[in-house]
Amino acid sequence: MSFSIWWIFTYYFRPLIKWFLRKTTGLCELQRICYGTVSGAPRINGVEHSLNSSRSKQIKQLVDHLNDIAENRRFTGANEREILKGAVSTVLIVKKINPKIHYQFVSAFGKCVEQIWGYKQLISEVEELRQTLFDSDDFSHERRLYDLWDSLMPDEKLESRVTRQWQIIGFQGDDPKTDFRGMGLLGLENLLYFSTEYKSSAHHVLSHSFHPTYGYCFAIVGINLTSMAWSLLRDGSAKTYFYNTSKSLPTIRLFHSFYSYLFYEFDRFWVESKPRDIMEFSNVKNKFEQKIRTLLQNPRTEFRISLSVQNV
Amino acid sequence: MGLLSILRKLTSNPDKELRLLLLGLDNAGKTTILKILASEEITNITPTAGFNIKSVVTDGFKLNVWDIGGQRKIRPYWKNYFENTDVLIYVVDSADKKRLEETGIELYELLSDEKLKNVPLLVYANKQDLPDSLTAADLAEALGLPSIKDRAWQIQACTASQSKGVREGMEWICKNFKFK
Repeated sequence: MSFSIWWIFTYYFRPLIKWFLRKTTGLCELQRICYGTVSGAPRINGVEHSLNSSRSKQIKQLVDHLNDIAENRRFTGANEREILKGAVSTVLIVKKINPKIHYQFVSAFGKCVEQIWGYKQLISEVEELRQTLFDSDDFSHERRLYDLWDSLMPDEKLESRVTRQWQIIGFQGDDPKTDFRGMGLLGLENLLYFSTEYKSSAHHVLSHSFHPTYGYCFAIVGINLTSMAWSLLRDGSAKTYFYNTSKSLPTIRLFHSFYSYLFYEFDRFWVESKPRDIMEFSNVKNKFEQKIRTLLQNPRTEFRISLSVQNV
Repeated sequence: MGLLSILRKLTSNPDKELRLLLLGLDNAGKTTILKILASEEITNITPTAGFNIKSVVTDGFKLNVWDIGGQRKIRPYWKNYFENTDVLIYVVDSADKKRLEETGIELYELLSDEKLKNVPLLVYANKQDLPDSLTAADLAEALGLPSIKDRAWQIQACTASQSKGVREGMEWICKNFKFK
């Protein structure tokens, strides 16, 4: 019942309200959003919703066109500028906006389009990396595995490729290759980025993983957090993070940063939960995910890795 | 609920709950089997830190399946989950010949535990699709299963990643409990 009332409202009254506001303010909905809503996730979410619910044929075509480009990852380099220009001018024509007067709209709206479809493109990029299985015959995959070791354990040499030492950094057995499983190369790249770009944070987290009671398997927990980061990205929950952090076209590096943030925060959450042992992992992880989802639901949340190092 | 499942519920014992314990070395395929049982997506599995649990209703039974991580560091915790186990399911990677001895040792440690006394054993000879994998019969021989006299046991060939053979193992379990 409430569903159909809502449907009637959006179907019949939304256009009526939009028409009324357009007549009184002289601005279309997209302009009102770009001028009246703070930049970042609140504004980008508004623009996204407005474009997706548009009933104009040209706007619908534009949305389909952009979706197609993002899925095929053609939204890059010089192509990106062309596509943005095209998207903006379509809207200017359809909504009869004079770009000379509304030059601020042109720039603000363009930025929103870049973020909305940059995010979609990133999903496809991340998904491809996830589906790439770790292959020990591939030199570049193996190289990254060694890099991970060197970054986390700079003072200890690996005795051989297959060795118990891998368990120190939290792999399950003597050969990490079977541990990436469904997360593929994405799991390794995430770990590597966190360990090299946030070196001190990663070492701090790794040291917690050696704790006699609160210890855990760094790499295995890391691969499980890859799974969390990936599902938050895919179901759209992570938009708040990306829309509020990204200043240009979002890249895979930003996804790795999101992962690093999650890993650092998870470690803190884990230690603060004072788990009895590793068997509480699923439980604590679910609570942590809930906490992150709640944070992401507020479009004004900003995320930063706090680099302060505390001792357990 | 369909008519058929209502009839089935009436004829068999509707309140019968079984506690199944899934154990085995890391990378044997325990979580994949768990997800197949729960009809869930299996393309995004990660190594199990700790354990997973799922309840599945099948054939008039409510199966509570406990999937415990298989890595060496977690194995000492296995015994915390033994109590009230109705069926022990042991998963083996049939292509991992290097660790055949290790998986055998772990299995016999389980079988000698007081809390698992007389508990029926189902062994999944998983990953039959891989080249060089041992057949179920060879694996049973290699693990010395025929010498088990103190409990019902069964070995089932399967390829969990293609959801082949998992059901058959469950049917053995359900059949075994119907005549009790």
